[in-house]
Amino acid sequence: MGYKRGLRNQYAHTALLKLENVNDRKDVDFYLGKRVAYIYSGKKSGEKKHRVIWGKIMRAHGNSGTVRAKFRTNLPPKAIGQKVRVMLYPSTI
Amino acid sequence: MVKTSRNIPLSRGIGLYGRSKMFKRSGKWKFVNKGGPKKAAVEAPKELKTRFYPADDVKKPLPSRKNKHKPTKLKATITPGTVLIILAGRFRGKRVVFLKQLESGLLLVSGPFKINGVPLRRVNQAYVIGTSTKVDVSSVKVPEHVNDAYFARVSSDAQDGEEALFAQGAAPKINEEWLAKRKADQKEVDTALLKAVKAVPLLKQYLNAKFSLTNGQAPHEMKF
Repeated sequence: MGYKRGLRNQYAHTALLKLENVNDRKDVDFYLGKRVAYIYSGKKSGEKKHRVIWGKIMRAHGNSGTVRAKFRTNLPPKAIGQKVRVMLYPSTI
Repeated sequence: MVKTSRNIPLSRGIGLYGRSKMFKRSGKWKFVNKGGPKKAAVEAPKELKTRFYPADDVKKPLPSRKNKHKPTKLKATITPGTVLIILAGRFRGKRVVFLKQLESGLLLVSGPFKINGVPLRRVNQAYVIGTSTKVDVSSVKVPEHVNDAYFARVSSDAQDGEEALFAQGAAPKINEEWLAKRKADQKEVDTALLKAVKAVPLLKQYLNAKFSLTNGQAPHEMKF
């Protein structure tokens, strides 16, 4: 969804994610701490074709279910609008 | 009521009042000669030992936390016999029966192997969802030797340089002894476990099925 930002400055170290079917700040609690993977492919075929950037959901962002996530390396700008996979672990249920 | 000392500390281990003054202040003078003769005999050597405290402050090492290991606290939803959903690793999505918690805190789990191909295995609590489905495992006895050491990696027989070169493409050699032992333990646990599973209608099919999410499903709204 983009990076953490004020109107005129953006902070690429934290990404904003919109989670499917999560529309409330209350619902976000389940997802806190869950690992997140941005999967993309490289040009060369073979083992290194699918690559991952791992991250985790840190906190809620606003009241409508958006979420802030931090990745091991910052998400590339082409990831904006792309799908990111949210894992169910580490699980607390 | 907390027992406080009537002495006034001047420094660590040194009080304002000496031994005889403390005796008066603490009221111990009232109880002199009231104990039996046996008691007096026991007291004497103790007093002599602690009569002189060391000239320099003797610092006690802070209690070490290194040797007190407790297994991680189990989530409330996980009790022996619970069906767990494994979330990551080779068996992700499989529903599996929880047997017991090992000393390291990891959970010992079995498919049962015949139903979904998950052998006796260790799993971390964080990578598991505890469902509300429970299997009665009171009749299942996990062999005593199945503990954390049991799951240590077994090195296959070391191969010589030449042999290793030729055997590069072949499958890694499995230690036959180790394999036989594992199979035997698996069988032992599973025969009792399978009986318990078969007693519940549809449980076998449930354990065989994999857990997955489809479009529109929200895990935070699900009741497991």
